[in-house]
Amino acid sequence: MSSKRRLCNSRKMDDAIEGVADAIIAEFSRKKEMDFAFIGIQQRGVPFARRLIEKITRKTGFKPQFAMLDTSMYRDDIGMRATLPVIRETDIPFDMNDQAVILTDDVLSSGRTIRAALDAITCYGRPSLIRLAVVVDRGNREFPIRADYAGMKIIPEEGKKILVEFKETDGSDGIYEIDWSNPTKGE
Amino acid sequence: MEVNWTRKDLLSLYDLDPEEIVLILDTAEEFKKVSERNLKKVPALRGKTVVNFFVEPSTRTRVSFELAEQRLSADIINMTASSSSLQKGETLLDTARNIEALQADLIVMRHSCAGAQNFIAKNISSGVINAGDGAHGHPTQALLDLFTIRQKKGRIAGLNVSIVGDILHSRVARSDIWGLIKLGANVTIAGPSTLVPRDFEQIGVRVCHNLKDAMEGADVINLLRIQHERQRAGFFPSTNEYARFFGLNKENAKYLNPDAMIMHPGPINRDVELDSALADGPQSVILEQVTNGLAVRMAVLFLVSGCLKK
Amino acid sequence: MTEKNSYILKGGRVVDPARGIDTVMDIGVSNGKIVDPAKIKNPEVIKVKKLVVAPGFTDMHVHLRQPGNTTAETIATGTMAAAAGGFTGIVAMPNTSPPADSAGTIEYIRRHTELYAVVRVYPTGCMTKELKGEEMAGIGSLKNAGVVAVSDDGKCIQNHELMRHVVEYSKSFGLPILDHCEDAFLKGEGVMHEGKWSTLLGMRGISSASEELMIARNIILARMIGWKIHIQHVSAKESVELIRNARKRGIMISAEATPHHISLTDDYIKKFDTNYKMNPPLRSEQDRLAVIEGLRDGTITVIATDHAPHTATDKLVEFDYAPFGIIGLETAIPVCLTELYHEKILSLSDFVSKFTVGPAAILGMDFGTLAEGKPADITIIDTEKKFCVDASKFRSKSRNTPFNGMEFRGKAAATIVAGRFVFDEIGQ
Repeated sequence: MSSKRRLCNSRKMDDAIEGVADAIIAEFSRKKEMDFAFIGIQQRGVPFARRLIEKITRKTGFKPQFAMLDTSMYRDDIGMRATLPVIRETDIPFDMNDQAVILTDDVLSSGRTIRAALDAITCYGRPSLIRLAVVVDRGNREFPIRADYAGMKIIPEEGKKILVEFKETDGSDGIYEIDWSNPTKGE
Repeated sequence: MEVNWTRKDLLSLYDLDPEEIVLILDTAEEFKKVSERNLKKVPALRGKTVVNFFVEPSTRTRVSFELAEQRLSADIINMTASSSSLQKGETLLDTARNIEALQADLIVMRHSCAGAQNFIAKNISSGVINAGDGAHGHPTQALLDLFTIRQKKGRIAGLNVSIVGDILHSRVARSDIWGLIKLGANVTIAGPSTLVPRDFEQIGVRVCHNLKDAMEGADVINLLRIQHERQRAGFFPSTNEYARFFGLNKENAKYLNPDAMIMHPGPINRDVELDSALADGPQSVILEQVTNGLAVRMAVLFLVSGCLKK
Repeated sequence: MTEKNSYILKGGRVVDPARGIDTVMDIGVSNGKIVDPAKIKNPEVIKVKKLVVAPGFTDMHVHLRQPGNTTAETIATGTMAAAAGGFTGIVAMPNTSPPADSAGTIEYIRRHTELYAVVRVYPTGCMTKELKGEEMAGIGSLKNAGVVAVSDDGKCIQNHELMRHVVEYSKSFGLPILDHCEDAFLKGEGVMHEGKWSTLLGMRGISSASEELMIARNIILARMIGWKIHIQHVSAKESVELIRNARKRGIMISAEATPHHISLTDDYIKKFDTNYKMNPPLRSEQDRLAVIEGLRDGTITVIATDHAPHTATDKLVEFDYAPFGIIGLETAIPVCLTELYHEKILSLSDFVSKFTVGPAAILGMDFGTLAEGKPADITIIDTEKKFCVDASKFRSKSRNTPFNGMEFRGKAAATIVAGRFVFDEIGQ
């Protein structure tokens, strides 16, 4: 039974996501044309991407394309855990070649999921650039990966991890600190 | 509720819960996409060693497994009875232990004796995937059949599925029957009375000894290959007689719903169990079965390899 | 355990169906014979309160594997297993290597028995030369050499004319026939019972008809010739019916059943464990119940194990290729007490008779009772002791049992042959 302590309510979480949207708009406004697509990493990178698309469309009139990516087949720990995670849907409806993509995930921790996602993306083609947006950067890096846009930085207590919940997947929005229940390192 | 795969081996659909079967099918959906894109490879089984141990020879199933393993980036060894020391009198268990000693993560095995894979799986730590054991089971064939049905019909529960042919000697039929029953289909088996035993009624399968009854109302009809050895052994008088009474052809196809799906595990005896025109026609999904076989086997290899060795 | 020559078994429940006795009383033993306890001077007293004291049990169907296959079992280890199982005597089957079809082999067996056996071994001789079912073996010479019966066990004579001659000839020497009933064609390549489970598992089956047909053959011959034919290891309900009707008509047919046929069924085969593979195979629940009913109503008068040792190497192969047979000496009493006595199907007296009076009557021998003057062959049983089968502790050289890890209620507490304790767990 893990204990679940709320760190941010839905308002504060929405503000953080809004901040990410603004940062993305700021960077891409400086380019010749505003053109990028989102790739949401399963599972909770997907609703995060959708929120960003909604905000960016509202603010700029440009609607980025949307893809979702499951990284299970590219993990570096297959066979090392007690169970395999379930493979969720991958759907990339655009041509990856020469496309600017923004990877989204809920929490950036060790960086291994992002490494797997980068491997997966390069199987589909050669993007012109890849940026990473996360709701929470919680430190604890094991790989040299950084977030280009982070909603907030939270360093949890020893033995705890950060959980970001979305209405679409979990019933309501919120950011929580919960007990670390998985014995293997990396996420 | 999320289901996780926790089995070291895949031996028979009889052992699986319906949720586990659905997990394999759902996983296969995603692997099908890998084969449809340009770069048909994922690193999921990179560095894992898979031995294809086909004590009973096979071309189609072995090629399908081999390709699935390659698309998962596994290292592969192919062994047959003649290329192993079984020829020199080494026992099956000793051969399997030798394979295990080479740190094989998975053994994909086909054998002519029912239960051979169960026996080996109990005695070695490598994962064992059953690619066919005697007349007992061929789980990956049934899984690809289920996948195909689900994909085309949207569901399996409540569908009327008929399996026609030599049920008695068919491992495909037995695995299909277990898989379909567990997922809630209504199963009918049909064929000559010498080859379609009534014992299956005791597990809720409808048994017919004429084709028309099996065709009427069927959503799916799966035709099994008739083997000439059975005719020589006296189970039916001639291939002509079999084709006339139990082969699906243009004349009796009128009893089939126009949206009924025609399946066959292959290879087809054209114009014996199935007319050429129907095999190549719009109701047939025979080639899709082959494509789906690849996806299903990738899913099975992925799931079984993910299990912690005990 | 005592090395004393004279002792009294005090306060046990003596069950001796041959004399109609079932009561608490003392049994005296002196110089290897049963004596009146009052007549023993300074006897040692062995308390056996709450234990059953019965005439020594005889297993009418045991494969000792010597000569020829001593990796699986020897006369020494087989008889030690018998002693641990509560048996004071075993009837040895002739399908050794070379087969016991000549006086020379019987002499070998007798000599090894004298030197190494810890319980009594009654040899049987082959009905046909080399068990080939083609030519009669020298049955007269075998009788002289000391066989108690003839059998082709493992095989069955398919030629009825030849069987008829064998039965006629054996009658003139007073040798009962022990027949393993099986039609070779119907058995074919079968590896398990032909029924629902062989169909579901896709395995080749052995139809009950195979057994039934040869039992019918034997009933006809026993009737025609007027001689004793004993049906070994009855497994099918149709077989029990045939035997029941034949006995009602006074034909000299008798039958035995094994502990595994009264406790296990063919659905166990789905584990593909070769420790469940034997011939005749485990059959359906209706067959199992019919065999139990046959024991209850006296159609089947003997329980015999068909103890068939095989090395682990031989059994650790594909189910189709594994040899038929399981061991049974060390689990017979626990399994049968649990399934028959504790289930209230047989009284204790009936239970004891299946191992004593039953075999003695068929073989025409005078063992199986605790009357004064008889050899002191005694089986002492604790009917309540919980017994969890641990094959690694067996005295047999082989381990091919389906009962490993299973729990039963009751087992042999001590085994006495000619007054000597060959197995003693009294008080443990």
